[in-house]
Amino acid sequence: MTALLKKSPLITAGGLIALLIVLVALAAPLLAPYPPDAIHPEMALQAPSLHHLFGTDQVGRDVFSRVIYGARVSPLVALLVLLFACAVGIPLGVLAGYFGGAGDEIIMRVTDIFLAFPSLLLALAFAAVLPPSLTSLTIAITITWWPWYARLVRGQAASVAGRPYVEACRALGMPSWRILLRHVLPNSVTPVIVQVSLDFGGVILTASALSFLGLGAQDPTPDWGLMVAEGENYFTTQWWLVTFPGLAILVTALAFTLLGDGLRDVLDPRRVVLR
Amino acid sequence: MKLEIRDLRVSFGGRPVASVPELAVDGGEIVGLAGESGSGKSMTILAVLGLAETAGAAVSGSVRLDGQELVGLSGAGLRAIRGARIAAIFQSPSLAFNPVFRVGAIVSRALRQHGLSAAQARERADAAMRSVLLSPDLLSRYPAQLSGGQLQRVAIALALALRAEVLLADEPTSALDVTVQAEVLELLRELRDSRGMAILFVSHDLAVIAELCDRVAVMRAGQVVEQGPTGQVIAAPRHEYTRELLAAVPRLGS
Amino acid sequence: MADDIVLDVRDLRVNFGPVRAVDGVSLAISRGPFGIALVGESGSGKTTVGRAVLRLVPAVGGTITFDGQDVLGLRGPRLRAYRRAVQIVFQDADNSLDPRMRIGATIGEVLAAHGLAARGAVADRVAALLAEAALDPALASRYPHQLSGGQRQRVAIARALAVAPRLLVLDEPTSALDVTAQARILALVSRLRDERQLAYLLITHNLAIIPGLCEQMVVLYLGRVVEAGPTGDLLARPAHPYTLALRSAVPEVEAAARRSRIILPGDPPHAAAPPPGCPFHPRCPLAVEICRTKVPQPRPVASGRQVACHRGDEVLAGLRPPGAPAQLAGEP
Repeated sequence: MTALLKKSPLITAGGLIALLIVLVALAAPLLAPYPPDAIHPEMALQAPSLHHLFGTDQVGRDVFSRVIYGARVSPLVALLVLLFACAVGIPLGVLAGYFGGAGDEIIMRVTDIFLAFPSLLLALAFAAVLPPSLTSLTIAITITWWPWYARLVRGQAASVAGRPYVEACRALGMPSWRILLRHVLPNSVTPVIVQVSLDFGGVILTASALSFLGLGAQDPTPDWGLMVAEGENYFTTQWWLVTFPGLAILVTALAFTLLGDGLRDVLDPRRVVLR
Repeated sequence: MKLEIRDLRVSFGGRPVASVPELAVDGGEIVGLAGESGSGKSMTILAVLGLAETAGAAVSGSVRLDGQELVGLSGAGLRAIRGARIAAIFQSPSLAFNPVFRVGAIVSRALRQHGLSAAQARERADAAMRSVLLSPDLLSRYPAQLSGGQLQRVAIALALALRAEVLLADEPTSALDVTVQAEVLELLRELRDSRGMAILFVSHDLAVIAELCDRVAVMRAGQVVEQGPTGQVIAAPRHEYTRELLAAVPRLGS
Repeated sequence: MADDIVLDVRDLRVNFGPVRAVDGVSLAISRGPFGIALVGESGSGKTTVGRAVLRLVPAVGGTITFDGQDVLGLRGPRLRAYRRAVQIVFQDADNSLDPRMRIGATIGEVLAAHGLAARGAVADRVAALLAEAALDPALASRYPHQLSGGQRQRVAIARALAVAPRLLVLDEPTSALDVTAQARILALVSRLRDERQLAYLLITHNLAIIPGLCEQMVVLYLGRVVEAGPTGDLLARPAHPYTLALRSAVPEVEAAARRSRIILPGDPPHAAAPPPGCPFHPRCPLAVEICRTKVPQPRPVASGRQVACHRGDEVLAGLRPPGAPAQLAGEP
């Protein structure tokens, strides 16, 4: 662990903060002083104080508790999005890269179409079509995200497919499924692992943006993006409504992006010390 | 002696990788540095060129060119010597030529860098190409359009054009077909005989060294284990490692 | 005798796009113990022949039969069965092993894929195979990058032996190795030949490793067979000018064994644009008019000897080139 700290302060910093956020999310009921959806109109719009560390919002809910519970929302969405995007993108990429030919062409042209659009706009388009909810949000972002991974993996898989040890496997009479599963896949996923950790922050931002636009989480879900949207009009006077959720988005996205950066440094194959 | 190496020590982070107590190459002779991978022979070449430090190594000892000390020489001093007085060719000639430039452009730039005018550079380049039995027309090609053997000969032509007195060759024929290798070796003999070049030839192929080199130093794990006239070392090896190496060389003649 | 032949290649043709990498190569490999060498320089097509035999590249013409059975048309389980009988060891020892798998897993996987060992017996089989390849069985837990080049190549051999092949194709097995590692590999091949009654096709550009390992040899130039016959006889009395030049180019440690060098002008041509007539004629010191127009076909020139040269009989009888004048390479 200390070796890691010395080698990459980035990954350690990012990793620790990310871990912290996960712990906060898991321990939310224990950490939050108030229930996140407890409405007390008589306590509305109070500035940060000892009783309410981040103040209260327009219907008297404690912002601090909402921000803590919010740690469950965005990161969970990001996790699901990335999981599904990988589940779809990686197999398609590996198959396209290894077999080439018509299948490869088709898959690549489909990804081309998706990648031609700016991802936020595309997610927006899908989210707008579906009834606004966190589920729709997850689906919409997943749809726009998988092509990147398919592309990434496909390039790597194509390169691995041409390597001597893969050719050796074919010469040894091993069935394709075995070659794909045990040789091509493990040697193709490294760029995706790094990309996923870098993307975590990006998905959180996208999810927050879409929630901000009203296309994702709906009230009373304590989603940070939604909180920013709800507090937008009060920004100049009751600054705490926007600032704390906004900071939460910033810190979370930053932590995971640092983690990804550090991971890339560590996993960089050129760093592998050969004999 | 043209090139004199004395007590040369090259180390990486305290770990010694090459140690040459004494090695000299005179004009008109080819000296071989024989050894397997990890023997330190390539590091020795880099140290002579003053490039070992760039790779992160620490160099101590003495390398003299016509009496002038090269170890510790300033960057400008080394740059003046490299190419113009000591030239080098390596195993992979395609790596020595930037693929986006025509071969002639690379050659003439190197010549102009050492003070020649454009016209002089072209003249010398053409003459040098003829010396290595290549048509000067090939200078207008890109490296990818030339074969390994041709590129290696262009590299030698560049050394000739620069009027280098010493040629360091690090496994220059290992990647070449055997018939092409024969041509390049013949060319090196030519350079030794008619130009009086001093050539330090590094190789793991004892048979090539036996045929080409007048004297040889055998290296193993960074140490010189045996040294002497080639015929003598081959006929009566004193060190066990030399005997081991010789025994491992496959013989066609048998 | 037809019974003795285990692999029969007839008129094999392999194209890479417009390039005729292999242009009508025939050779026969006898039942083990037996060794035949396929010799050539870059562009000769020798590696492609090896790959075609393993069905790693598609052939566009000719036939390959193994034990009388057609090889080029095999599919599915019969192709897999063929791949237990015929194996290959590649030149690039550094990259022919998956860098992420331990040695033991790499070999064990082969056993598992072909159902050659019960779950519990795999480790023992792997250890036995490593020992057979003169490797310490403890290496099974290491990764490829922790081994030397010579050791990696021996692991590749052990892996190929896992399926108990009858024919082994060795594609430049020692080109990337130091001379001492090379000697060990060659000794290993020789031992395996005796212990396993192995037949092997040794693909190499290094003539010096052939005597002692291979009884027969075939010389390739630009995708065609230029000469074939028993090794000793062929090397002592070549019947083709290219073989002469090749043999004379091999450097020798013993001064007494050296021959006068025949320097071939120019470089090996690109297979994309073969010259008319004999593919060797532009560099041939003995070329005459007919060589420029008519392609020589392989024909018997002595007992067991084939040559594809219009002047083959003369070369066999002792015709040698005069001092070749230096022609500037690259001049039109």
